[in-house]
Amino acid sequence: MSQQKRRDILKIGALAVTGLGFPAILRAQSKDIVILGLWDQTGAYADVGPLNDRGMRMALEERDMKVLGKPIKYITRDGATQAGVSTRRAEEAIDEGARFMIGPWSSGVALAVSEVAKRRKVLHLFSGGTEDISGARCHRYSFQWAASPYTAAKTVVDNFMKANPGAKRWHLLIADYAFGWSLEKYIKEVGKDHGLEFVGADRHPLGEREFSNYVQKAAANRPDVVAMVNFGADAVGAARETFNFGLTPKVPLIMTWSSGVEELIQLAPEIRENLWVGSNFYYTADTTVAKRFAASYQAKFKTPPGYAPSSAYSMTRMLLAGFDKAKSDDTQAVIRALETLQINDVVGPMHVDGATHQTLRPYFFLRCKPKAAMKHELDLADIVATGDTPLPKEYASCKDIGGF
Amino acid sequence: MTLLAGQILNGIATGMLYALMGLGLALIAGILNIPNFAHGALFAVGAYLTVSAINAVGNFWIALVVAPLGVAVLGLVIEYAGIRRLYAAGHDYQLLFTFGLSLILAETIILIWGPVGISQLPPPILRGGIDLGFTFYPKYRLFVMVAAGLLVTATWLFLEKTRYGAIMRAGIENKEMVSLLGIDIHRMFTVAFALGAWLAGIAGALTAPIRGLSPGMGVDMLGIAFVVVALGGMGNVLGAIAAGLLIGVAQAVVAAYWTEASVAVIYLVMAAVLVVRPQGLFGIR
Repeated sequence: MSQQKRRDILKIGALAVTGLGFPAILRAQSKDIVILGLWDQTGAYADVGPLNDRGMRMALEERDMKVLGKPIKYITRDGATQAGVSTRRAEEAIDEGARFMIGPWSSGVALAVSEVAKRRKVLHLFSGGTEDISGARCHRYSFQWAASPYTAAKTVVDNFMKANPGAKRWHLLIADYAFGWSLEKYIKEVGKDHGLEFVGADRHPLGEREFSNYVQKAAANRPDVVAMVNFGADAVGAARETFNFGLTPKVPLIMTWSSGVEELIQLAPEIRENLWVGSNFYYTADTTVAKRFAASYQAKFKTPPGYAPSSAYSMTRMLLAGFDKAKSDDTQAVIRALETLQINDVVGPMHVDGATHQTLRPYFFLRCKPKAAMKHELDLADIVATGDTPLPKEYASCKDIGGF
Repeated sequence: MTLLAGQILNGIATGMLYALMGLGLALIAGILNIPNFAHGALFAVGAYLTVSAINAVGNFWIALVVAPLGVAVLGLVIEYAGIRRLYAAGHDYQLLFTFGLSLILAETIILIWGPVGISQLPPPILRGGIDLGFTFYPKYRLFVMVAAGLLVTATWLFLEKTRYGAIMRAGIENKEMVSLLGIDIHRMFTVAFALGAWLAGIAGALTAPIRGLSPGMGVDMLGIAFVVVALGGMGNVLGAIAAGLLIGVAQAVVAAYWTEASVAVIYLVMAAVLVVRPQGLFGIR
């Protein structure tokens, strides 16, 4: 093949990877309330975006796509799990009239989108593992739905150590971005109270597919526990390799921040043995809203809802509750309403800390069931405990949330 | 030291799979002169067909033979019904066709097998691991290393030592001449594409118990396959094998000391090699 042709193929390949966007022209009428769901359909979280979309749609359909007597126009855009694309899509949607937005899924990307929300004065709800949205980079327009990484770390470490008091040598496997770093910091912090020794802490890129290298390193450290701070396909892939290399079930494996049922059903029952799971939501949560939501979701989509659709569902419900409370669709009025909102939702009682925009709510800790104990195919885990210890004041880095 | 030895072993096992993928893509790029953007999707189809075959017949080994053949047949159809019409059309049309095809295949996987990933355990005889002294290693990975190594060698022998292989290599060098010698070049194109698809399918089948299955699994592998082909020298078979191993081992060794860079290293190695040898490791032009 000639040099020229070879170059052509490479060039065209590069174009194909970068150049494909999804144009969408949609102008809302001024009486509509336009809400953007910024959900990834491509990139590392391509598998999560469609689930987010399901949850958000269900919350809006519950209200017949109306609030305060006005029609809601729901628009959704693909942020491609990239900061550049996501901020561009958000800006375009705002130009088209959106004043409220929810998403995206990746913490690192959401931090960039949060800056757009601040600059364009648009209400932004997000659920994810970075502490910066309600921490160092807090501002008046963004809200965090997920538990604080401190709450998650505390719930997981305390309850795991209660069940396994001798397991002091921990090896950590961490997704190398905002969410992983936040949780790693607090796991190490809470670990001090239990006298834990961290024999290893490896960071892997988001979207890693080859976990054998990490698992082999973990095995060489001879840990009592392997704890992972990663999500989705990364967590599933790493859990599978931990099993393939013979670590689990001998050594317990913790998924610190899991999507719950969506990750667990991707693992064979053998792989789930001695697997412990922290999650922002589990579908057997004993709340009225969760029971109703899980039943109608399962009737529609066959599998029960995990963290992704549930958070989108609950954030949308929170936003709508904000409209109701404010009795207005003015962005700043809705923000003020959310700042003092108390709501009983999918995870149980929740309220927003007006000073940081962090939602205070329970976090779940699960233990997976061995194959023999499962009553049916989806009887994957028991909720062992929930925890809601808020971030202690000395760690809080949102000193002043500022004005509008 | 034991860690490094373990990682190198790991790198060879992964590298063999990369080589298998790259080899199929290199064959198609070399003989048909098209960038096959559907190669990753064919890899995914191979993995999914394997799981379905295991569920249907309950035997991993039968599935391992049948599923890749299914992908080869799919390859025959794709070449015969689609790609054949685009040989004269230029790279942009071929790219659009194969890229579109990859999207269609990925969506078809979602329609048939659903959007949520699936786990497939290795066959019972290959579950668990062996203590190699310096490291504990899964039996299944050792099997994959040997199986992929044999397949790569067999493909290479086929191309080097058989008459039809010689015709194919001649086709890479000069299609018009081969055609003038009275050889049905269109049939050779079909065979080459099916062979490439078969290699992708078998890589998918072997990978399924290691990485599990998800509709997007082909995308991850496609990028690596292209790196292998560019690195090895376009259309060069030995180059693809060497490049696959090089990337696998580089990834594993980097992961031992600097885990954050384990994905970036693939592209760094490619960039470094292409700066020194723009034609790739074994490329001539």
